[in-house]
Amino acid sequence: MISVKNLNKSFHDKNVLTDITVEFETGKTNLIIGQSGSGKTVLLKSIVGLHNIDSGEIWYEDTIFNKLEFSEKKKIRSEIGMLFQGSALFDSLTVEQNVQFPLDMFTDKSPAEKTDRVNFCLNRVNIINANNLYPAELSGGMKKRVAIARAIALNPKYLFCDEPNSGLDPVTAILIDDLIQELTEEYSMTTIVNTHDMNSVMEIGEKIVFISEGRKCWEGSKHDILNSDCKPLNDFVFANSLAKKIRAVAG
Amino acid sequence: MIRFLLNQVGLYVLFLKKVFSKPEKASVYYKQTMHEFVSLGLTSIGIISIISFFMGAVITLQTAYNTENPIYPKYLIGLGCRDSIILEFSSTVAALILAGKMGSNIASEIGTMRVTEQIDALEIMGINSASYLVLPKIIATLLFNPVLTMLSICVGIFGGWVAGTLSGVITSENFIYGIQYAFIPYYITYSLIKTLFFAFIITSVSSFQGYYVSGGSLEVGRSSTKAVVYSSVLILLFNVILTQLLLTS
Repeated sequence: MISVKNLNKSFHDKNVLTDITVEFETGKTNLIIGQSGSGKTVLLKSIVGLHNIDSGEIWYEDTIFNKLEFSEKKKIRSEIGMLFQGSALFDSLTVEQNVQFPLDMFTDKSPAEKTDRVNFCLNRVNIINANNLYPAELSGGMKKRVAIARAIALNPKYLFCDEPNSGLDPVTAILIDDLIQELTEEYSMTTIVNTHDMNSVMEIGEKIVFISEGRKCWEGSKHDILNSDCKPLNDFVFANSLAKKIRAVAG
Repeated sequence: MIRFLLNQVGLYVLFLKKVFSKPEKASVYYKQTMHEFVSLGLTSIGIISIISFFMGAVITLQTAYNTENPIYPKYLIGLGCRDSIILEFSSTVAALILAGKMGSNIASEIGTMRVTEQIDALEIMGINSASYLVLPKIIATLLFNPVLTMLSICVGIFGGWVAGTLSGVITSENFIYGIQYAFIPYYITYSLIKTLFFAFIITSVSSFQGYYVSGGSLEVGRSSTKAVVYSSVLILLFNVILTQLLLTS
């Protein structure tokens, strides 16, 4: 479980996150939703330690992560996998080398064992016969899947996904969502997904946290979201005309 | 302005501290260093050879045209070519050329990794990204740039010999006598010491510029330009300091 307590973060005197307190549950797909610029990515990057927070606490199980030194954070970081918005695959490495990279850095496996693990991870995300391709030769969906394969190479306890569906067509977006949810259940990970895609929310949102203007406005599940009386959330959920029509029909 | 300068110097020192911290896994760093030997070192052989050849040729011809006096022995053309190349061209001018080639390459590579979140990906894995990305580059250039300097000296003097003999301003015998005349081996040491300093400046300053890029492709381009400009200015500054320290007794 990951807990965030009274987190505050600002950039150059501008408050970006204010007094965020939330728990992300183990074995579930936790979603952070909100409009662009609401502070979702800053929250996610603060949780993984890419941003230093102004005040508050970030707990990984029973350890306060943000109070640890860089070297002490290494152990927890080796248990983290992250899928970035732009995939963040290493341009100079092939698909196989990208997935093998964390294995090279943090394990003493033999080359054959590493290759087996790489192939297992790539098969798991349905990447076949692409081991020797470079990221520039892959489509957007393939890049995301390779990034997921890299993220799970070390069997992480925590998986973070920053807008995994951005730039993808609806069909590929659903495939990525399904993959994230399957992996979360399979490895019993604590998964946190940052998104503003309502399809994802309704498909995989087991726990949803809504952020608006840097504050937590609402939390619940996908079953509660349509009946919320939180106005900013309703404005967000029913922003497009199709959703408004469905809401009108459903009364 | 002064505050900005002090801030940048402080940030640079902290950056170097991060770069020189203990590597995560020696075998991976070794592989990375070998890769940098090729991408930074071997790929510079061509440009260094071409420029050294023509600079050697020009130095010889200019020395010849400026010493057209029966009082001066002809072999001085060879001597002038040798000393100009060893003392200044192959260390300083070649370093300025490498600042353009290697510096822009390093800053744009690391800057692109920054803006495309590849550096964040390394940090998430618990890897010291500054050390992983920069230390192999520094080691590779510190080991390989002296080789480039020696190559530059040889090719430059060869270029001088070719230009001098083909144009008829000096005979082959006179030129060879000149490059052997009053040779001071310490000049080579001086040249190599300067090369080491310049290699460190090029790699660390360019990496620093790339590492702290924020924004998009425009900023990556700017960081690349800054890397070349700052490296060049520092090379010229350290050239004066090192010359004063090493050649005056």
